[in-house]
Amino acid sequence: MRIVIAEDLALLRDGLARLLRDNDFDVVAEVADADALVHAVLRERPDLAIVDIRLPPTFRDEGLRAALELRGSAPETAILVLSQYVEHTYAAELLAQAGSSGGVGYLLKDRVLDAADFVEAVRRVADGGTALDPEVVSQLLGNRGSHRLDVLTPRELEVLTLMAEGRSNAGIAESLVLTVGAVEKHIASIFQKLQLPPSDTDHRRVLAVLAYLQER
Amino acid sequence: MSLTSPIRPLYQAQTYRNLLFLAAGIPIAAVVLGLVIAGWTSIAVLAITPLVVPLLLGYRALVGLLARGDAKLARSLLGVRPDPPAWSEGRGFWGRAKAVVLDPTFWRQQGYLLLRMTLGFAFAVGELALIAAAVSAVTLPIWYRWSAPEYGSWHADTLGRALMHVPVGAAGLIVAAWLARILGSFSAWQVRSLLGPRPAPATVDQQRRYRRRALWIDGCTALGLVVLTTLVWAVTGAGYYWPQWVLLPLALLFAIHAIVELVTTRLARRDQALAIHGGVVAALFLFLVAVWAVTARGYFWPAWTLLGLGSAVLLHWLITRNRRRDRLSRRVETLETSRLGAVEGQDAELRRIERDLHDGAQARLVALGMSLGMAEQKFESDPEGAQQLVAEARAGVAEALKEMRDLARGIYPPVLADRGIGAALETLADRSPLTTTVSVDLLERPPAPVETAAYFVAAEAMANAAKHSGAGRIDISVGRNDGMLEVEIHDDGSGGADAAGSGLAGLRRRVEALDGTLTVQSPAGGPTTIRAELPCAS
Repeated sequence: MRIVIAEDLALLRDGLARLLRDNDFDVVAEVADADALVHAVLRERPDLAIVDIRLPPTFRDEGLRAALELRGSAPETAILVLSQYVEHTYAAELLAQAGSSGGVGYLLKDRVLDAADFVEAVRRVADGGTALDPEVVSQLLGNRGSHRLDVLTPRELEVLTLMAEGRSNAGIAESLVLTVGAVEKHIASIFQKLQLPPSDTDHRRVLAVLAYLQER
Repeated sequence: MSLTSPIRPLYQAQTYRNLLFLAAGIPIAAVVLGLVIAGWTSIAVLAITPLVVPLLLGYRALVGLLARGDAKLARSLLGVRPDPPAWSEGRGFWGRAKAVVLDPTFWRQQGYLLLRMTLGFAFAVGELALIAAAVSAVTLPIWYRWSAPEYGSWHADTLGRALMHVPVGAAGLIVAAWLARILGSFSAWQVRSLLGPRPAPATVDQQRRYRRRALWIDGCTALGLVVLTTLVWAVTGAGYYWPQWVLLPLALLFAIHAIVELVTTRLARRDQALAIHGGVVAALFLFLVAVWAVTARGYFWPAWTLLGLGSAVLLHWLITRNRRRDRLSRRVETLETSRLGAVEGQDAELRRIERDLHDGAQARLVALGMSLGMAEQKFESDPEGAQQLVAEARAGVAEALKEMRDLARGIYPPVLADRGIGAALETLADRSPLTTTVSVDLLERPPAPVETAAYFVAAEAMANAAKHSGAGRIDISVGRNDGMLEVEIHDDGSGGADAAGSGLAGLRRRVEALDGTLTVQSPAGGPTTIRAELPCAS
């Protein structure tokens, strides 16, 4: 699996590359700013670009903007945005502009501490899935519209949280130590209680859940 | 067109009503002439004394009275309903005088009266002369015996000849009737367009346009009158150029109007009074010099007026300069205080950040180093224990990262820089445990320091409400009003917030450093409203 990394801090960039290479990924380019990222992606056509949201010269959200631009010019490249902080509004923008095709992720940089989890998320996004930081999901769950989730059982709430992070049924089953069948039952119950439209892919499922959580 | 139609105006009541309105122009012209001359002469003479203010107001009242009276006459005789608009009123003593000079309604009314005085007078005289001539022609067969009129070699001294005048007179009457209708309609149009209401000016821009138009009307009326009188002068033999006595006062009037208009639109408020004073004196002086030039010349008497009026302007300038100096020194004092506050506030803020870093991240890194050191020692002897320590270290790093993130957000939330105060407050509201509404009404982003200060006012007020007040609900509104960014935070808690407490005092310093004001209303028992107004020059 071929990956391009855009991160302005050399320490982090090198660490990330080493972590990915140790896990048998092929890091084909490591760049430090948004222009170089766009060039590298158009040249290498990688499976995934890992992008820091803040890049030179203004250190605002040029990473995010470059990523959205790449969505149009290199749609086959999945995008994983990393950030020092997360905002659910940015997540919503990223998902909205990424369209319904999947292959997007938005994670805190802290997540690299748990290498196994991080690598799993990288793989999921590169395969066309979704990875949303638990912090984003908890922001959404804790917001002003969250009282509508009171109809869910605690277990269903756990399943909803993992679902919103973009995990597959198998992934949810593994982390909650349940069978896939039990997870499917919980999910059916959640969709029925919240009156969500049925979704054919994990990514569409994330969009549906997020749309629900963002209503106020 | 039937045969009777040419004479129809003769037996229609409207014709006679028009005639009445036109005839009224003669006495009205006399009154207007007296009013305008007496009014502006006394205003010009008293222009440098405070007496000019009541005089101007009184003059405007008389002009308004006359204009309204004529409008009433026009309503009953011509059937137009102009419904005169209200005057604009100023505030303060000199403000009232300025409001008169800038009042479009006043200038339109005066323009109307000047037209009524000249055009209206000419209409009335012409119409009445025509009627008199026609009536005398029609009645000639009755009175030719006593005084037969002569037109060159034509003597109407027999009944036959006198009878020949009758059809001419009758035709003259018909023409007079038609003329009365036409002039009446023209007068009605004049009344409608100059005394009628105009749409209320909704915006400052529109107000400015109306005032510009009033200046335009004033200039056109003056120019028209000068041209008219010059024509009359040329037709009547072009002797002594008397229309200069129309031209000069009207030019003075227009100059004053234009000076006030220009000064109020071009100059800063604090310079206006002096500029208007100086401008009016200069115009008056030029007027007097012109009067001197067109009269006997000789001894240059306007010098004395210049001396008198000029020293008044000089005095005004000195007073203004002193006052400005006072204002500046007061301003320096305020700035010194607020700058000291800003520096102190920054100091306190730096100390807080230093403490947070020292107690938080630094302590965590020490603990982390210890865990890793111990793990290193245990690698050989106790691999399981070492793994445990490494896992602990990793958890410590995660904690430290979270702390650092919170600290960074407290210093400057990134979303504020990226997306502006609206998004930043929404995020804040999402994190708040209380029900929080945010309404932001801004067309464009304010300057960064203002936006940051506004954000921290809201953030601190929200934190206070959550911590101390026992509030259940917070409403935040951000808007722009007259060049100020206004932030208001309202909570339904128990009130009693201490405006001198460290949190609010810090906010006050932050707001005052930007020349803003912070008001805290927090009676015991609640509710609490904190409001910051920050100037944002744009």
